[in-house]
Amino acid sequence: MTDLHWASVADLARLIATKEISPVEVVRAHLDRIAALDAGLRCFITVTADAALDAARAAETELAAGRSLGPLHGVPFALKDLFDTAGVRTTGGSKILADRVPAEDAVVTRRLRAAGAILLGKLTMHEFAYGPEGLNVHYGTSRNPWDATDERIPGGSSSGSGVAVAAGLVPLTLGSDTGGSIRIPASLCGITGLKPTYGRVSRAGVLPLSWSMDHAGPMTRSALDAALVLRVLAGYDPADATTSVLPVPDYAAALTGNIKGLRVGVLRASFLDASAPEVRQAVEGAVKALESLGAVVDEVSLEHMGSVAAGAMAIVASEALAYHAEWVRTRPSDYQPDVLERLRAGAFVSGVHYVRGQQARALVRAEVNQALAKRDVLLSPATPIVATRIGEMDAVVGDGRVDVRSSLLRFTRPFNFSGHPACALPCGFTSGGLPIGLQIVGRPFDEATVLRAADAYQRATDWHTRRPPLALRG
Amino acid sequence: MILLACSGGLGAGILGGMNTIDAETLRRAARLAGFDFAASDLEPIRSAIERALQALERLEALPLASVEPVTQYRMV
Repeated sequence: MTDLHWASVADLARLIATKEISPVEVVRAHLDRIAALDAGLRCFITVTADAALDAARAAETELAAGRSLGPLHGVPFALKDLFDTAGVRTTGGSKILADRVPAEDAVVTRRLRAAGAILLGKLTMHEFAYGPEGLNVHYGTSRNPWDATDERIPGGSSSGSGVAVAAGLVPLTLGSDTGGSIRIPASLCGITGLKPTYGRVSRAGVLPLSWSMDHAGPMTRSALDAALVLRVLAGYDPADATTSVLPVPDYAAALTGNIKGLRVGVLRASFLDASAPEVRQAVEGAVKALESLGAVVDEVSLEHMGSVAAGAMAIVASEALAYHAEWVRTRPSDYQPDVLERLRAGAFVSGVHYVRGQQARALVRAEVNQALAKRDVLLSPATPIVATRIGEMDAVVGDGRVDVRSSLLRFTRPFNFSGHPACALPCGFTSGGLPIGLQIVGRPFDEATVLRAADAYQRATDWHTRRPPLALRG
Repeated sequence: MILLACSGGLGAGILGGMNTIDAETLRRAARLAGFDFAASDLEPIRSAIERALQALERLEALPLASVEPVTQYRMV
């Protein structure tokens, strides 16, 4: 197989299991790719090349002996640098934790390794995951591979995770998502990112931003790959009290390609109508594509969306400052300026505000549940805008200008607030060649239906198979 | 987080009901919350804090009287 770096998780796992390619060959191909492109893309904070090659040789030995380590045997992966990795520094993209080396793996790190996956390194991110642009003054801001010469943001906070997958440096990464940090870079980089239901995937060993809003999930180039990985990640974990004991289904088995009769609610008011024209057009095209596959489409509006930004801010600002309080007091100059400003703002949120936020959350959760009572999934753009230039504070949407930061969060954050599973995937490109993201939202713990809809769409379209021009140079 | 809260139309926080807040007032409020920020550190974010507090006050208009907040507490 040529171009191993563009192979999917599913293909790599199958080709390795059938001994058509070796884990060493696969890992070398990706390490070569990282060596060739990462100086420009700036995805990696740490590359664990030697350990990865050792693990690949061990995986090869196991295979030769007829032993399979699991469904991801020999498949390379990389982690946003807030997932703990035993013996490998985990910085949170910060100067404050620059030398922090965990003694143990995060639970999801351990689950990926137990399934046979091989860690290639740790990826850059918005410092401490507190920003949707993906900016980082300490390790460099990852460049969006679709227009890196124009220095566009990758989206964040899981910026390196989005860029690394989009540019073919690795087929699988994990991100965390507190307001959209998996789905925003997925949207801006043209990949598939899944935020599972709150409680589906353990966050034990993951540096927190906001305990009650943080989610962890896979970032890949297809819904099928996300399904394969979610099955490995999901499930009860005694170290994370929020995880559910509900059984973990075989998500990939649910990807039948058949969505005849699937009831799809399109979020128009406050979502489609608030998007840039090219985004709206692409998402309307996706709606038509799903209809042509047999989905039954109607429109739905969510009355309380206007309370999400304030409610989420009350929660995230309070919880983030609680985690960072000591460093904000003693090491303020070690934060990047935008993150320090957000943390300081948390000091002015009252206890009553926090509870109001959690009450508003109950209201929004009930409203989304009600919208899903008669529908299987909800559909919206993942982001109302595409990747902006680094440093741009506002963007044009229709006749007006919008704040980039709040716009990036606008469509994803409601489902952190509500806790529903949501997937972002590419559904088109602007005339300037920048990816446009679609968001599919499902019922609690029904990731299977979200992924089935996403997979059916990807079987019928080729947006997810397009490769960024910069990455093709490698 | 500031633990003091006002009610009776004055908003849900110690700075509730104030349309404009100067940096010195912010500094004093932060001090009550346990953070010793300089007024010069707060001036650049003063207008953002004002907007955020106004947005937070709007949560008071939601029909939340009988809504129990989302919690994740478990005994074991």
